Amino acid sequence: MSLIYRRKFNQSSLSHLINDYMGEMVPFSKRIEKKRFLIPLIFLKTIEWSIYRWYKSPVRRLYGVRRNELIYMITRRCNDRCSKCGIWKTPEPDSERINLKDFIKCLQSLHNNLYQVTITGGEPLLFMEDVLHIAEESRKLNVPMFVVTNGSLITEDFLVKYSNFEHILVVSLDTMEKSKWNEFRGRNHYDKVMSNILLARKILGDRLKIQSVFAYETRDDIPKVKTFCDELGIQHTSQPYMDFGGVWHDANVSSLLDNDMVCAARKNICVYYNGDVVKCFDHLRIPLAREPLGNILKEDIISILSKKRTTEITRLMKNCNLPCKWLSCNIPEPQFLS
Amino acid sequence: MSILIIPCLIRTKWDINCLQRLLISVQNQSKQFDKVYVIEDASPFSYSLPFNFIEHIRLSRNGGPARARNIGIDKALEQNAQYLLFTDHDCILDKQWNEQMTLFLSQTDFGAVGGMTYSWGKTLLDYYHDINGTLSGKWLLPDKKELWYMPSLNFGMKAEVAKQFRFDEKFPTAAGEDVDLCLRLRSKYKIGFCVKAKLWHDYGYKNSLSGFKRFVKLFMKYKSSSATLYEGHTVLLWDSSESIYSGNAHVTNI
Repeated sequence: MSLIYRRKFNQSSLSHLINDYMGEMVPFSKRIEKKRFLIPLIFLKTIEWSIYRWYKSPVRRLYGVRRNELIYMITRRCNDRCSKCGIWKTPEPDSERINLKDFIKCLQSLHNNLYQVTITGGEPLLFMEDVLHIAEESRKLNVPMFVVTNGSLITEDFLVKYSNFEHILVVSLDTMEKSKWNEFRGRNHYDKVMSNILLARKILGDRLKIQSVFAYETRDDIPKVKTFCDELGIQHTSQPYMDFGGVWHDANVSSLLDNDMVCAARKNICVYYNGDVVKCFDHLRIPLAREPLGNILKEDIISILSKKRTTEITRLMKNCNLPCKWLSCNIPEPQFLS
Repeated sequence: MSILIIPCLIRTKWDINCLQRLLISVQNQSKQFDKVYVIEDASPFSYSLPFNFIEHIRLSRNGGPARARNIGIDKALEQNAQYLLFTDHDCILDKQWNEQMTLFLSQTDFGAVGGMTYSWGKTLLDYYHDINGTLSGKWLLPDKKELWYMPSLNFGMKAEVAKQFRFDEKFPTAAGEDVDLCLRLRSKYKIGFCVKAKLWHDYGYKNSLSGFKRFVKLFMKYKSSSATLYEGHTVLLWDSSESIYSGNAHVTNI
């Protein structure tokens, strides 16, 4: 199989089909000693060949039971202008966005395989109603959900509704110093975010988590954020800085990058705001995997995940050893599940 | 010391008859097994077995054949078994099956072994499986010196292999879990083929017409496991192997 991506990979030509069929039938027919059975046996072999070629497996057997994380980058838009991230620089136009029902359909197809669904962005709470709708559907399907937010758009009404679904909210926080806030976030809403964190702690309890980016710029701030979280009894995690178009610098944790930890991000099924499906938001770092695997508006998610190319990229990711393997989405087991 | 592990999920009277028929063939072995574990995987059908040489382990919840075999492996290793042999409830062992399998494992440096599988029935569908090698091992090409994989209905491995490689319980049904195990264990060990270790598998076809639906369902079940297999073993995309049937069973350079 060629590793070079072909956009029409799944559309095999007639000659390829005939070659494949004859490649199965000719050796098989040579095995038949009782020649009077030649035609019925070739018919049976054709049935077998057709099943292996066209029968679509139930999703439960695709990747086992509850071994996958579905990650939805609901938008590239953001109300912050963080220097650590460049995603906000290229917001999507309305015409490129999929309908919520398309993602819900995808979630419903996959839920038996999922241990978690994660909503990220951009800033997901720009689409607060959609997030609540997905949260409700995830609860119905008994799939835990995480929303990763910058914390600035949180409202009491949202928190009350969100808490009913018993999902997790992760707020991004990189410094406790108001003087650095504008530099880090590009917006002046330190007081708003800090009061939202306190409100969220009160309403969500243990289901509020805080996450920081460990970079050269935040090396002195992360311990203070950790102390703040410890005092409030909030679980805190940090992950190394990655280049998503930002201008920060990594904290030179070379010992981390030399580690031979296997990349677990291959468990992920990622859907972009426009319906494109990838195995990992960062898999474009793998030269042969720069194109999406498919789009849920054009193909069924199961068909996309069943492609040989998906399998091949999954295999490549296992040993890709890129620095992004230290992101939280690479953690093999559910991260915050209570 | 050889221990036989039989996972079983009994759904119908036919399954019970099969199991009893298998256990009679176990009883008639030229070389007796030191232990026989029948792992009852929470069958919906209650039954008892009139054989005092077996240890009947009843699981409280159904976990699939991979889990049932793993439980048998744990028990066998606790007993310090040297050779762990596996078959299914719908098989019938040749009298010399245990003798040949253990002899092969003891006299070669293969970590695992597969035997020769024939269809029990006489329908056209059974004949198809015989020449297709549906449940036979697969020769690794081009040399045919070892097996690519071997279905677990006619399979055995040494204790040192079983300690390192277990069945993956994420396979929910009897499809693909044996192939997965073989492909993993081949990273360290080789799988040999013992043509003299014969058994017969009953596909349950009453006749060629009424059995057709069962025939189709069988391959649909195997196809269902293929995505899981491909996810773990992309090498299958380049599967360079040939299924074993009576016509190539002796083409061995072992």
